[in-house]
Amino acid sequence: MDTIVAVATPPGRSAIAVIRVSGPQSLDITRALVHDDSFTPEPTHVVLKDLKTEDDEVLDQALITFFKSPHSFTGEDMVEISCHGSPVTVRKLLDRIQQLDARFAGPGEFTLRACRNGKMNLSQAEAIRDLINARTTAAAQQATRQLKGELSSALSVSKQQLINIIVKLESALEFVEDDLPHLQRAAVLDELAILKSTIDSLAATYQTGHLLRDGIRVAFVGRPNVGKSSLFNRLLSRDRAIVTELPGTTRDSLTESIAINGIPVTLTDTAGIREAGDRIEAIGVERTHRAMADADLLVVVIDASTEVQEEDREVIERASNSRHVVAFNKSDLPAAAENNDTVNGSKVVHVSAVTGAGLSDLSAAILEPFGTVDSESVGLLVTDSRHYDLLVRAVASLEESASLLKANASEELVLVGLHNALSYLGEITGETTTDEILGRIFSTFCIGK
Amino acid sequence: MIFDEFFDVVVIGGGHAGCEAASAAARLGSNTALVTINLDLIGQMSCNPAIGGIAKGHLVREIDALGGIMGRVIDRTGIQFRLLNRSRGPAVQSPRAQADRSLYRTEMRAVLEHTPNLQLRQGMVSDLLVLKDRIAGVSMQDGRQIGAKAVVIAAGTFLNGLVHTGRTTYTAGRAGEPASIELAEALKRMGFPVGRLKTGTPPRLDGRTIDWDAFEPQSADEKPVPFSFSTDEIQQPQIRCFIGYTSDKLHDAIRRNLDESPLYSGKIKGVGPRYCPSIEDKVVKFAEKDRHQLFLEPEGHNTNEVYLNGFSTSLPAAMQQDLVRMIRGLEEVRIIRPGYAIEYDFVDPRELGPDLQCHRVPGLFHAGQVNGTTGYEEAACQGLIAGMNAALTVQGRESLTLRREESYIGVLVDDLIRQGVDEPYRIFTSRAEYRLALRHDNADERLSKYGREVGLLGNQEWERFHQRRDRIAKVKKALVSERLRSSEPAYAAVRNLIGELPESISLAELAKRSGVETEHIQQLLPAALRTETTREDLEFALADNLYSGYIKTQEAAISRLNSHDKTPIPSSLNFRGMSGLSHEMIERLERVRPQTFGQARTIPGMTPAALSTLLVSVTVPN
Repeated sequence: MDTIVAVATPPGRSAIAVIRVSGPQSLDITRALVHDDSFTPEPTHVVLKDLKTEDDEVLDQALITFFKSPHSFTGEDMVEISCHGSPVTVRKLLDRIQQLDARFAGPGEFTLRACRNGKMNLSQAEAIRDLINARTTAAAQQATRQLKGELSSALSVSKQQLINIIVKLESALEFVEDDLPHLQRAAVLDELAILKSTIDSLAATYQTGHLLRDGIRVAFVGRPNVGKSSLFNRLLSRDRAIVTELPGTTRDSLTESIAINGIPVTLTDTAGIREAGDRIEAIGVERTHRAMADADLLVVVIDASTEVQEEDREVIERASNSRHVVAFNKSDLPAAAENNDTVNGSKVVHVSAVTGAGLSDLSAAILEPFGTVDSESVGLLVTDSRHYDLLVRAVASLEESASLLKANASEELVLVGLHNALSYLGEITGETTTDEILGRIFSTFCIGK
Repeated sequence: MIFDEFFDVVVIGGGHAGCEAASAAARLGSNTALVTINLDLIGQMSCNPAIGGIAKGHLVREIDALGGIMGRVIDRTGIQFRLLNRSRGPAVQSPRAQADRSLYRTEMRAVLEHTPNLQLRQGMVSDLLVLKDRIAGVSMQDGRQIGAKAVVIAAGTFLNGLVHTGRTTYTAGRAGEPASIELAEALKRMGFPVGRLKTGTPPRLDGRTIDWDAFEPQSADEKPVPFSFSTDEIQQPQIRCFIGYTSDKLHDAIRRNLDESPLYSGKIKGVGPRYCPSIEDKVVKFAEKDRHQLFLEPEGHNTNEVYLNGFSTSLPAAMQQDLVRMIRGLEEVRIIRPGYAIEYDFVDPRELGPDLQCHRVPGLFHAGQVNGTTGYEEAACQGLIAGMNAALTVQGRESLTLRREESYIGVLVDDLIRQGVDEPYRIFTSRAEYRLALRHDNADERLSKYGREVGLLGNQEWERFHQRRDRIAKVKKALVSERLRSSEPAYAAVRNLIGELPESISLAELAKRSGVETEHIQQLLPAALRTETTREDLEFALADNLYSGYIKTQEAAISRLNSHDKTPIPSSLNFRGMSGLSHEMIERLERVRPQTFGQARTIPGMTPAALSTLLVSVTVPN
């Protein structure tokens, strides 16, 4: 196994940058860096050292932490170097370490090594990926939970219940001559129903869980000068978009991220929709259409202080095929005539970008169609589409078995779905071998004609 | 080397593995000798006088479909035939027959004696002769040297066999027969990894001293289902067995005397089978059960000897009679032969390829208990595979191996050579991932082509197979084409039986509905077909019909599993550099040097864990 190196902190200038080295050569490389062949730091203790070039020139003064195999993230010998966060210093150090025979790590390679060395299972590795990419605190929390194997352990109870059911049916088939208790179909059906609903409700958390990971894309649309950019800025709590009283100020789509109830929401401010005045505006409008197509939800902004215009109606008409919320902006100004007839069937909120009134209503209205719960306060959520897919398949397989059981089908047919469900769960929690099932049979029942 | 005799194939042992091996090798045209310690005990049933049972019955039918002999011999000597799991689906039904122990032995020996190219030799093999790293023959205890191009070891429990009854131990291959100690030592000397297993057998009773009325009789099937595809009818008169139970008093007595049991005093080191526990184990491990089921099985038409199934024990012989007398109905019983436990050597089957040939010594094959299995059927099917491949090797022909998805034999061999054993290995239907496709009644459809190709299956059997297949195809076609329509008189009766019914339904669809029995479908067949179709053929067609949807899904799953098969493994990939791989896995990979993941997957002995490590390395970009 070769030794790999990578910068563990984000690129750019920072107070500290962390360089990680993993592999059998880690310590030797560090010794060469500090020009001390006998340098043997105590594992997990931090040491301050000068790092030098081949010509004894000091590159940087850095904190060095040694992790001895197998007690490291990857399971291999590892060294973490916390150096000063100047891109130049980091570059020089990396060059030097590569010279000393370390290879630049591929994406995810540290995690891959950890996986191979049994430091984590696949679902934990996936959680690390999510943790690194997590955009809000709640998403990070969820990833941390999976990292600790919570999904695995939440499922392991279900898995054990499933194995118990399988054991009952298998032993009825295999040991027909033994004096075993009769299969109680009704009781097994009850057990199956409980099992199914447990897995089902775990799968249902994906509704919120995947939003935690992937976020919601929201586009602000409307005719020019209704206050889309003002609302956008207000939600961001900063003056990101240029706002003037001139219609058509926003020429290009602008995208920024916020968190609502812990769920990452990407807001896109768009150019107002109207017959374009010039080519730039025409391109901007086209981008708006694209943003509308990409969005998970549209916020149609309407100026509440003026009469509803034909252009407003067109935008609402266009949005009506997608999830959307109609925001009557400028609620601080005297309202024009009631416009309820134009927003038939749409969710309506009244807001003021100027005073901030109604903003929490808008936030709630954005989340509402996704059926989310407050993700910061709930337990384990399924965030990965692969996990969700496996859980859904498991539930479907269990349903199939339950209906066969109800129809009095023979055990070998009922078992097909149960074994399938077990292997789906096994892809999250680790597989169950036939020997384990047989072992359970022999310890549960006295077999042996 | 000077040999007293020379053969193509020498088979060591005349048990169930040895008989199949010798018969197969000889019938494939190899000059074959079967060497055994006592010619009078060829085909001896050391333990239970029965063949078949769930999954085991499948093995026997597969042996028969390939052209083996066990099925035909038990069909001629079975005295109680029963098809087990009748109330369940056809895939998990399996025939079982109790044998007349002495008739079975005589019949098996007669079959072997009438096999051309096969010679029987009495004597004990004491060493294996190896020349230029290949097997060259065997040495006998009496000084004879027999040359051979291939040797099959099928020595059963004889390798370093040690019998235990109470605190007494003595070396023996079975009670009353000498153990094979020198051969066991020779295997160790050759470097084979050898382990120790244990099995046991119950006492045999004098039938004249049993109060039969205290037991519940169990009859044979009215219409016995034979094991062999070439058997038309079972001729042996059928007998009854009897079911009884142990008692609290007996359990207490056993618990009080546990220190007399070598199993509990720590004297026995070998691992016994969990699914065939001794009565001591039953009483200790399932203390909450107030009674355990026992079967009284008469050993034959012309003997008083009765096998006490369920009472395997290693308690002192002197104590056994008093214990057995605590069973209701056995108050006056006399024991003819005491039960005992036996420990014996086995060789790690991971030493073998799928043809059951040793990697270590080409030309040497292992079959039966030497591979860590238990059971006559498990032994016989390995004997068939080993004997057949021994002959094929000698003849320079390609070996014949079976896959998991097409046979229980394939499952058994694959499990052995990939995973090894840590307790005596027995077949179960749950070991077969694709059990819905592996029915006892379609073994011929799955395997007879191989038996024919290789030359074991005779013209007559092959002809029978074709006729049966054609008859069934006709029935299957009719099931799809024939429909029950609301205009027909039978329609109302069927609707009364099962409730809702469409205006028109094919018989195939109708047959899948709950409440519809085979007889109903038979009645609905067109008149001509109805009279010429046997119930057996119809059941076969209906079984195919019942499982067809599942089997299609399974096949899809198999191909999904194989979806990475074409993923290339770069020739530069260093297996030693992959720290998730054990030394053994690295060696296997380096020996084969697979170019695709599919090739790696089929290397015998690769564990799923090793494969997934490999898959990660070849699919995740560096």
